[in-house]
Amino acid sequence: MAAPSIWRSKRFRGAAIQAGFVAVLVALIIGATLTARANLSAQGLTSGFGFLWKSTGWEINFTLMETTTTDPYWWYLLMGLLNTLFMGVIGLAGASILGLIVGLMRSGRNPAARLLGTIYIELFRNLPLILQLFFWYALANALPNPRNSLAFAGALLNARGIYLPGLVIGRGTVALAVLAILVSAALAVWILASRRFRQIEPTRQRRLALCSTAAGLALAALAVVLGHDPSQPWITMPKLAGLKIDGGFRIQPEFYALAIAIMTYGAAYVGEIVRGGFKAVGRGQMEAANALGLSPWQVFSRVRFPLAFRAMLPILINQYVWLIKATTLGIAVGFSDFFMVIASSITHSGQTLEFIAILMGGFLLINFSLAAVLNRLNRAIALKGHQTTGAT
Amino acid sequence: MDLTAPAIELTDLDKFYGTFHALKGISLTVAKGEKVVVCGPSGSGKSTMIRCINQLEEHDGGTIRVFGTTLDDNVGLIDEIRREVGMVFQQFNLFPHMTVLENCTLAPMLVRKTSRADAEATAMRYLEKVRIPDQAQKYPGQLSGGQQQRVAIARALCMQPEILLFDEPTSALDPEMIAEVLDVMVTLAQEGMTMICVTHEMGFARKVADRVVFMDKGEIIEEAPPEDFFGNPKSDRTRLFLSQVLGH
Repeated sequence: MAAPSIWRSKRFRGAAIQAGFVAVLVALIIGATLTARANLSAQGLTSGFGFLWKSTGWEINFTLMETTTTDPYWWYLLMGLLNTLFMGVIGLAGASILGLIVGLMRSGRNPAARLLGTIYIELFRNLPLILQLFFWYALANALPNPRNSLAFAGALLNARGIYLPGLVIGRGTVALAVLAILVSAALAVWILASRRFRQIEPTRQRRLALCSTAAGLALAALAVVLGHDPSQPWITMPKLAGLKIDGGFRIQPEFYALAIAIMTYGAAYVGEIVRGGFKAVGRGQMEAANALGLSPWQVFSRVRFPLAFRAMLPILINQYVWLIKATTLGIAVGFSDFFMVIASSITHSGQTLEFIAILMGGFLLINFSLAAVLNRLNRAIALKGHQTTGAT
Repeated sequence: MDLTAPAIELTDLDKFYGTFHALKGISLTVAKGEKVVVCGPSGSGKSTMIRCINQLEEHDGGTIRVFGTTLDDNVGLIDEIRREVGMVFQQFNLFPHMTVLENCTLAPMLVRKTSRADAEATAMRYLEKVRIPDQAQKYPGQLSGGQQQRVAIARALCMQPEILLFDEPTSALDPEMIAEVLDVMVTLAQEGMTMICVTHEMGFARKVADRVVFMDKGEIIEEAPPEDFFGNPKSDRTRLFLSQVLGH
């Protein structure tokens, strides 16, 4: 028999199919770009990203840093991205903490707590998120007017928002202080969790972590003291002035309604993931820890939670990415997240394709980074010799 | 705790699972330094009995005394007893997210407040005793079953307990690994450790046991020194059991 033809080779066929696929994809992209350009220039629209440096001329209702209508588009987009990240951090942290509580209630032995947990999950998981968002927003708007604000420990609550007593300092100072605290907290977690520090006595390890946290807090305090304008008072209390509230630190209803919606809705899913994680921990490991005389908290913190967390993490990553995308619902109540800033920019500038591309790029960047970091963590803590990723 | 009192005294111990009467008035006394082997068909309550001693199972009636201290539902007391009573499980139950060394140092550091250096030195001493000091930095998932069970024994020893409970320590092992675990247990027995072993290894019972206890259906049917137990069993049920485990 003659040597088999190259067309019968499995490897050649595989390579040919791949090459064909890539070629078609490239042709499609080039074709679409050329067509779009041709159509845009026919309508007299200029493409390109030059508009990013033009000033916007309109306002965003919520920004973390000083923003004026003369700021260029790129600054607005950055503010929108920051708002999305801010909402994401608060929403994910809240959903995780609340979800952990609900999950623990559901997997505990107390029947009342189990029932409460079940009711919570069934209620929040089975209603559409946008409906829940409208509910919280409607609730926020149904609060009394500023004249009849509800007062609580110096804070005022009314339909315009939550007014907290605030420090009189610039936003840049706040950013610095927050950065100092975040970095020191991350350092403390690293000292407590990293294998690199396993050789140190646990008491010294804890002291080091404490030192790091204290240093961060001290730096933050220093930043606040230096950033404070001496001619101003330190604290501003919210006060009724005519028909509105003066002073204080305002949290707008759009922001907290979305934050509550993301937290409570996310917590229902996280709660189920947490419960599944705890269920996956073998009873034997907990019995061994009990038999060694570990206290219930030590059994939980050293054995039960670390093992459950490893079972939860892969599913949590999915849920976190999903929740970040869900923050785009902010546009429904008027919270200026990345999506809403992009939508407004499109209306005002007409650069639809460019903005959509930036929008997609922004979300891909956020979610890729989040997933990459968590996947790395997942690999780092994989049980050696048990999972395929663990090197043996 | 009174180290001159009997190590373990069970009196009329009762345990129910729902309506199933798992232990029917068990009474057993184990002196300090004594080695007791508990055998019997599966479901006879052997494991339940030793799991009651360190309260992994709560008993429903009767009393348990460990070195003269009576166990009730006082949590502090249970922790005190667990410090002195080590346990080795059928499924090893090592902590898979910690290295062998961390498995061994965790409880001494957390419960006995030993310094890391001391805990590690003790751990290495016991890992040498069970003949796997070279595996100290590995994870349980990277070891064979026999090695894991020896780590589990070392982990229990690191708390320097007065009593060791073995719950079918070789039942989950491949035949060629049973010997390496039994060798370690024989060494411990010869050094005077107080031991209660639930096992089907009759060779081990003959070699080290001071007493063999035979249980069936939640009751102690017979207890005797090994030579009488194997040579001259009194009860029909014991004879039947022995013919089944020794007959082939």
